[in-house]
Amino acid sequence: MSNLRTKRFSGNRVMAVSWRVLKQIFRDKRTLGMMIIMPAIIMLIFGFTLGGQVKNVPILVDNQDTGYNVAIGPNSSSSFHFGDNITASLQGDDRVKVTTGSFESGKNGVDNGTYYAAIAIPANFSNSLFLKSRGQDLNTSIPIYVDGTKPQNQASIFGALQTALQNLSGSGIAIDKQFAFSGVELSGLDVSIPSVIAFVLTFLVLLISLIIVSRESTSGILPRLYTTPLSAIERLLGYSIALLLLGIVMVAVILGIGIGVFGVTVGGSIYLLFLGAVLYALAHVFMAVFLSNYARNELQAVQIAPLIALPSMALSGMLIPVNSFPAWVQTVAKFIPMYYGNKIFEGIMLKGYGLGNLIPEFLIISVVALIFFVLAVATVKDRISA
Amino acid sequence: MQTANQPGESAIEVSHLIKIYKEGQIRAVDGLNLKIKKGEIYALIGANGSGKSTTMNLMTGCLFPTSGSINVLGLKVPEKRRVVASQIGVAPQEYAVYNDLTVEQNIWFFAKLQGMKKDQFEPRLKMLLPIFNLEKRSKTTVYNLSGGMKRRVSVICALIHEPRILFLDEATVGIDPVLRAFFWEYFRSLADAGLTIVLTSHVMDEAERADRIGLMRAGKLIEEGTPSDIKQRCGCQSIEEVFIKLSGGQATDE
Repeated sequence: MSNLRTKRFSGNRVMAVSWRVLKQIFRDKRTLGMMIIMPAIIMLIFGFTLGGQVKNVPILVDNQDTGYNVAIGPNSSSSFHFGDNITASLQGDDRVKVTTGSFESGKNGVDNGTYYAAIAIPANFSNSLFLKSRGQDLNTSIPIYVDGTKPQNQASIFGALQTALQNLSGSGIAIDKQFAFSGVELSGLDVSIPSVIAFVLTFLVLLISLIIVSRESTSGILPRLYTTPLSAIERLLGYSIALLLLGIVMVAVILGIGIGVFGVTVGGSIYLLFLGAVLYALAHVFMAVFLSNYARNELQAVQIAPLIALPSMALSGMLIPVNSFPAWVQTVAKFIPMYYGNKIFEGIMLKGYGLGNLIPEFLIISVVALIFFVLAVATVKDRISA
Repeated sequence: MQTANQPGESAIEVSHLIKIYKEGQIRAVDGLNLKIKKGEIYALIGANGSGKSTTMNLMTGCLFPTSGSINVLGLKVPEKRRVVASQIGVAPQEYAVYNDLTVEQNIWFFAKLQGMKKDQFEPRLKMLLPIFNLEKRSKTTVYNLSGGMKRRVSVICALIHEPRILFLDEATVGIDPVLRAFFWEYFRSLADAGLTIVLTSHVMDEAERADRIGLMRAGKLIEEGTPSDIKQRCGCQSIEEVFIKLSGGQATDE
């Protein structure tokens, strides 16, 4: 080097840093993959799940309308069936998926989650409408029994009903809303808290567990532990118990703030809610212990949590109800633990369900926990692999 | 747990040991035969990549061999490594202690893994801390300790349960010469009481303190014997000279 003067600013030095950063990233194949796969997955999932209006909300319509005959001449008459018009309009509307049946069975369906609303068109509906148009002071109303736990679904149902009634507008038809479960309309916070609990548990339990377990393998302590009497399964159970205790603390904080600060309603048993949350946390602890095998460092571990939590958020119906997804995406959603987590938390908090109503969901989460425990046991390392 | 030194009885026997790493098909240990006697201080020396640490990892059972047999205290390794694990203490090359825990918490953790009770642990800890000049640091978080102190904590973690064999992989790196001399005295007294010590080292004056030295090169034992025998055979003044002559003349810093 002939010139000993050092430049105050060197583009070469800047490029050296950029070159080094890119080289490092290209060597860390997992991070590189995450950079490409993660946005792709998130875009696709959100695209499929967030697209457009909420569709295919299952409802039941009970058309009891007997119609109204009007004599228009000595030997001829004309009949009106406004109930048929409304039913046809709803059936043709893709915002709702109509099943016909009795109003009572529809209400039961709403209570157990089969339908989001049951609509009854009264027997004298056409009759009343007709007489009303002739100046009689009659009350025409359509009773609707609706599940208020999904505001987007509710909006689609009322939207479709409004469209159906549009041709009859001006006739002063009242919609007689009855809310299922609590009997009152739920607040936005009420309906969002259950899925927030599921999301926070998924994300934080995974994140914290992954960091804690992967830290052990990066600190050089793991090989040392292999030389002690501690077996791999003992180590795994040790992690799980500690992480579960942390999970319980998180559950307590979330529920404490939700209930204590925001006054979120818990329709069902708070103990069952706590039990469900702990079971849900346990499944994610085992998931994290299993997944930590695939993280070589804490950075990779940290990347795994959003990779699971963000698609879960979209697919579980936290943002948009699952019923509005394309059929195949709905099938995919059934493989997402958070889908069942949402159902458990919503069921207990908003619908006042007891364990009896949620046996399938509790069983599925237990099976998920068991599967990840078995996977963790099967893949846990008990020696330096080389 | 220590037994009196019975001369000639071997603590470790290794025969035809081969370890080929999957990645790169490197023969890290290549047909090694080794006998380490009970109560002996045995130093494995060699250049970087000569296979010392691999050999130690194979003996402690945390790495599985490709072929060959390892016998530790009469038990087959890795088959019986869980039983062997309660009889050995290992201080690896890395500090391998928990930074977020205090000195005492770290030692207690490893003591618990070895099945020690609090009443066995307390007096043992009281005895060991001053030997390693850490008695004022027992409540200090390891994160705040110097490298040399961390290494001492690591050695105590390996010694707490009174093992019959102590493995020290470069375990005295970063410890100042005065302290090192001091606890070599301690190691000697433990060996006299029956403890077998296997160590790897780059510090040649440290290797000279061993009863016997095994010099490794490319996964093979190329010279073995007491320090004076080796020096004599090679016609060298010091083990350092032997090392440079036999190990391929590579730099020894790691």
